[in-house]
Amino acid sequence: MFSRTTLPPITAIALAFTLTACAAAGGSSDAAGDDSALGDGHGAIAGAQEMPEPQLHLLSLDETGTVSHLDLLDESVDELGTVDGVADVATEGRYGYLVRPDAGAVTVVDSGVWTWSHIDHFHYYRGEASVLGDVKGSGPATVAANGAGAGLFFAETGEAIVLDAATLADASLDERVHVSVEPHDGFIVPVGSSALVTEPGADGAPASVRVVDGDGKLGETVECANAAGTIATVVGVVVGCRDGALLATIGDAGVVEIERIPYPADAGAPPATEFRAREGRPTVAAVAGASGIWLLDTRKRTWALVDAGTPIVQASAVDDNDEHVLALAADGRVLVLSGATGELLAASEPIVVASVADPELVTGIELIADQHRAYLNGPVERRLYEIDFADAARIARTFDTAAEPRFTVETGR
Amino acid sequence: MRRATGFAAVAAIVATAGLLTGCAPSIAADRPLVVVTTNILGDVVGELVGDEAEVLVLMPPGADPHSFEISAQTAARLRDAELIVANGIGLEEGLAGHVESAEADGVPVFLAGDHLEVLAYAEGDAEGTPDPHFWTDPARMVDVVTALGEELPAELADSDSASVDVDRIAANTEAYLAELDELDREMTATFTAIPEARRALVTNHHVFGYLADRFGFRIIGAVIPSGTTLAAPSASDLRELVAAIDEAGVPTIFAESSQSDRLVQVLAEGADRDVDVVELVTESLTPPGGDAETYLDMMRVNTARIATGLST
Repeated sequence: MFSRTTLPPITAIALAFTLTACAAAGGSSDAAGDDSALGDGHGAIAGAQEMPEPQLHLLSLDETGTVSHLDLLDESVDELGTVDGVADVATEGRYGYLVRPDAGAVTVVDSGVWTWSHIDHFHYYRGEASVLGDVKGSGPATVAANGAGAGLFFAETGEAIVLDAATLADASLDERVHVSVEPHDGFIVPVGSSALVTEPGADGAPASVRVVDGDGKLGETVECANAAGTIATVVGVVVGCRDGALLATIGDAGVVEIERIPYPADAGAPPATEFRAREGRPTVAAVAGASGIWLLDTRKRTWALVDAGTPIVQASAVDDNDEHVLALAADGRVLVLSGATGELLAASEPIVVASVADPELVTGIELIADQHRAYLNGPVERRLYEIDFADAARIARTFDTAAEPRFTVETGR
Repeated sequence: MRRATGFAAVAAIVATAGLLTGCAPSIAADRPLVVVTTNILGDVVGELVGDEAEVLVLMPPGADPHSFEISAQTAARLRDAELIVANGIGLEEGLAGHVESAEADGVPVFLAGDHLEVLAYAEGDAEGTPDPHFWTDPARMVDVVTALGEELPAELADSDSASVDVDRIAANTEAYLAELDELDREMTATFTAIPEARRALVTNHHVFGYLADRFGFRIIGAVIPSGTTLAAPSASDLRELVAAIDEAGVPTIFAESSQSDRLVQVLAEGADRDVDVVELVTESLTPPGGDAETYLDMMRVNTARIATGLST
């Protein structure tokens, strides 16, 4: 199981602190000071507190390079720093990865808020946010982050780097794995303690993925023409290919196992190249042509195609009891569809018309779904939107921003 | 993808049920060592062995038993133990490897789960899988303590140190079993006094399956609206919880929530449901000075909160 092999950042912090406490106690058997250090368990560790509910935030980057962190619980805003030349932002729910092509670097920001699954229940944490520093490469990077860590791929040089979740939790950017492949427009994604890296074919386009083990040793190669798009679900790691998706899981022996989930024979829509979904669920969504939405159920290993009935630019699967699917329409509305029937259940007013119409800005808009709400950034509108998808796409809250929120991701989830 | 367990790092060590904490405890060379994984079992084993053995509890109070790992140093100490006491039933995922390798080296291992009738989770994502939280039923704790009362003297008498007084352990065990019986009687009396129709726990706590099974409670799992939802709630946010409250017909829900007051207010204004929100102690003992420093305290605190909540 993928989920069993991934890493819980809090523990590493908890344990790092415990070590500190031990050192201070000097190994003495009546270390009275330890009572307070361990006194309330998780609550006392390295500034991280265990909380009774998810500490949801929106991490945004504006056109001035300011990184801001909106607390969705008390609506306060913190500025975490300034980072220039950012072309993309990725997250796995705790760390923000700010891609900076001109600097040839990825700047990593620890939001200080995260959720940790125990399968039958969850734990929620809140600590200090900080900018951890830069991972250096050359030119633009593609980042694929999930609970196991983050894969950073520099297309110009073919350098592929994996950062480990436990190492990150120690505020270290030490690389777990660093391999080089032929330069191409590819990516590397962690799968447990291993990873998958794309490799190009004769035409230079990604043609296959290769397993990289925890020591950086290259293993099995699996064909994946036009590899594009990756996401982690509760089942495993998905990679999009021209003829279907690969699903990578960790087998009992700890080795990566790869299955292929082919598109239906009469697919009738172009392949998925970018996946979105609420975290921790099996089903993910992707845009399929002008108005179509692919739904990939990684538990059942099946594809389904629904039609939004209007041109869309993004789609995400909530995968709740009502099988809600969300889409950002090209006219700036947020659509709520039934994944089961394809029926359009509700639509918001056009809220991000100008941002969607701007080809420079539209790529930075992110439709984010969590258990209860969806979020959307409107750079031109200078506003962040909270949408209640289960209540007729009602705009539950809006948050005005001081500048243009060019990129927004959700942390604490 | 959410994070889950399985990693290597360093753990805290809390000796003797949290009374004496230290990171590299000086080893009382004349006393045999019993290593216990969880603080709940650590409290119980401490009661049974008294001063006859050193009890090393791997998890501090407040820590999460599902996710603990230990240092190589502590792992090495596991091999010196006369006995390792663990919960089992999948609770200590992070420690399983260490316990198994100590066992392979010849250290006897007592798994509480081997000495009781295990239940499966009745609902939720983990439905159908074995539920490790047996201690919410005091009768099952009696089963475990009875088995421990045989195993502990047997293993400690075998130890190299000659000073172990096994009669003392037998007496301690008898005394603790009497306390558990008393607890069981109190809980039975308290819960029996609640009308059967009201014996329902609307909760997002996940550890009360055994208590429910033993004392005839229905557990009605519910998603408790969280902070972002409570900021601008809609009827759909409350629908599931309101349905659970109506099904249960109770005046109190038992939930972990940072905004209990706001939840009470939203339920009153948005759904016309007048309920209290009460938190229970779960999974781990509270640190010294808290409500539930010992297993017996924890059970009594929860019993009182449930009884009060359902009777008003």
